[in-house]
Amino acid sequence: MLQVKNVRKAFGDNQVLRGVDMEVRKGDIVVILGPSGSGKTTFLRCLNFLEQADSGTMDFDEVHTELKSASKAVISKVRKKTAFVFQNYNLFQNKTALQNVMEGLTVARKVPKLEALVKAKAALDKVGLSERYDYYPSQLSGGQQQRVGIARAIAVNPDVLLFDEPTSALDPELIGEVLAVMKKLAKEGATMIIVTHEMSFAQEAASKVIFMDGGVIVEQGSAKQIFTSPREERTIQFLRRVLRDYDYVI
Amino acid sequence: MQLNTQFMWETFLHVLQGIPVTLIIVLVTLLFSVPFGFSMAVSRSGEGKIGRKIITAYVSLIRGTPVVLQILFLYSLLPTVLNYLIKEMMGLPYNVFRISPIFYACAVFTLNTTAVLSEVFRSALSTVNRGQMEAALSIGMTAAQAYFRIIIPQALVAALPNMCNATVGLLKSTSLAFMMTVKDVTAIARIDASFGYDYLEAYLVIFAVYIVLCSAVQGAFYLTEHMAAAYKKPVAS
Amino acid sequence: MRPFHPQYILEALPQLVLYLPVTVGIVIGTVFFGSLLGVLMAAGRIRRGRVGRAFANLYIYIIRCVPSIVLLFLVYYGLPELLIGFGININDAGKGFFVITTFSLLFAASMAEVFRSAYEAVDRGQREAAVSIGLTEFQAFYRIVLPQSVRVAIPNFTNALVNLMKEGSLAYTIGLIDIMGKGQLLIGQNHGSYSLEVYLALFILYWTLTLLIEKGADLSERRLWAEKGREGGVSQCS
Repeated sequence: MLQVKNVRKAFGDNQVLRGVDMEVRKGDIVVILGPSGSGKTTFLRCLNFLEQADSGTMDFDEVHTELKSASKAVISKVRKKTAFVFQNYNLFQNKTALQNVMEGLTVARKVPKLEALVKAKAALDKVGLSERYDYYPSQLSGGQQQRVGIARAIAVNPDVLLFDEPTSALDPELIGEVLAVMKKLAKEGATMIIVTHEMSFAQEAASKVIFMDGGVIVEQGSAKQIFTSPREERTIQFLRRVLRDYDYVI
Repeated sequence: MQLNTQFMWETFLHVLQGIPVTLIIVLVTLLFSVPFGFSMAVSRSGEGKIGRKIITAYVSLIRGTPVVLQILFLYSLLPTVLNYLIKEMMGLPYNVFRISPIFYACAVFTLNTTAVLSEVFRSALSTVNRGQMEAALSIGMTAAQAYFRIIIPQALVAALPNMCNATVGLLKSTSLAFMMTVKDVTAIARIDASFGYDYLEAYLVIFAVYIVLCSAVQGAFYLTEHMAAAYKKPVAS
Repeated sequence: MRPFHPQYILEALPQLVLYLPVTVGIVIGTVFFGSLLGVLMAAGRIRRGRVGRAFANLYIYIIRCVPSIVLLFLVYYGLPELLIGFGININDAGKGFFVITTFSLLFAASMAEVFRSAYEAVDRGQREAAVSIGLTEFQAFYRIVLPQSVRVAIPNFTNALVNLMKEGSLAYTIGLIDIMGKGQLLIGQNHGSYSLEVYLALFILYWTLTLLIEKGADLSERRLWAEKGREGGVSQCS
């Protein structure tokens, strides 16, 4: 369904992505792991054209494009097939939860208002926020805000959901509610690409795990394969470090 | 110290007739300056290099020189230029010297307030988080939709306190409109005073009127802020 | 179209520059007296005393609402009458006296806000930390709090200073001869025929003064930040 090849991106002299390939099939839950600065967030942002890659190609169903020279029409098409969940939520501060979710439907996709209202409410219900339709972002907890962010993303019924460290801005006690929503979506067959540090989530939900370091994919495979028998030295070191921290917390 | 209270009361009543003039100048000026200032602020954060330089120079010049100088300069320039344009270039028989001085006052204050507001809006725009634009784009809005539906409404609310300051500044500047022969509050009181040299009394009246007008402006902004910033208020839940 | 003589701008400039000391002198005098009064007002707002705070707030509110030209004429016509009630005759005082008095009253309100926000911007913990390691109150203020406050104050102070300089141009309306007043004289001597040229020359002078003030503020701010960088080490974000 979605295939990108040889994605490269530099910020000034800093080569952040040095040729990344990825293929995603319908229903895949792809989790991208890696130390900070490995380029995983930049890679995800390139998929939604929030960052313009220096080179690379994308095949997304019938759309084929160079990432560097994608036309406005193509970018708009890709954005309508995807949805992005941000690390710091980025909810529209001047809109209520319900309006946040409706915005992508009524404005970007010209869905009639009544239909959008039904869909938006359904999305908020799904993430467990039926009681918070008319609250502004500033009146919600971090976990609630991120769930609105997820509702905003799923309401437009995207082919692929992109998650950029959706829980790393949250207090530990609020992480669970967001991960629960994500697991629910995974079970329902959504296609997701997730950048995260939540190892237990990756182990439990991922159909494919990608480990990135230094702007390249070091290793990829099933969750079981990566977590129980990693082949690359860098993967082993990374997992040893984060899993030890993880054990330590328990 | 003896004050001519009789004169003050009469002047006060007389001066009330000038208040609509003052308010019209303020409102018309804002009507033009707000959109002008906003588009300047937006284009300053945009791409075009030459346009940005011109706007930056304009803002620096206006904010770097006295209003009174701008008034005197434009009031001696505009009528002759307009006369030239209308009579010589377009050959219309219209007598520009019959244009109401209020028109010139609005023109001068618009030039000035636009520069002030463009700075206000620029800093307000910079307070809107970059992520708001990204989120809007990520759900498929165009950049224009994102601007009009997400960025601008938030920037306007953020700008309100400084817009209030700018409006108070504008209101105070209108006290100089008498230099363009506008019959506003200040002008009326000054004329009244000139008959019996009651300048102190006249200025006390102007002083009082401005405190009232200024309080009204601040009150109006306070209410607007209160209503517009609903999304910033916490709820008890 | 009336004739326009750009070369007269150049002729007018040196004549106007002669009066630059008056313009600058008014500004300096006002900054001195206005800051003194401003400190008092800021103290009134910061301290706990209710009367002091109410008075300072009222003062700042009123000054904020009054056009400079109105206050200038109030002082010019009113102050002598007020003081004569106390047996003080200032009818012979120079125009400069009234101008500096007026603008000090105005500038004090701006300075009160500058001082207050600078004072409040420095975390209370800074003083407490300084005292806790054995510095005296004065040392804590002078060595720790003040340098940090100054840095916060510079942009606001610069704004107030530029405003003062611009508003100061109104002094010609009571007959003071500064650059603006000299400009009006030049226009009068020529029966108004060179007004545009003179005004343009004045634009050049005032704009230059503003740019100089802003440049100076920029430099001193940069020096203060650089100092901080040397002492504390600027953290590098990648």
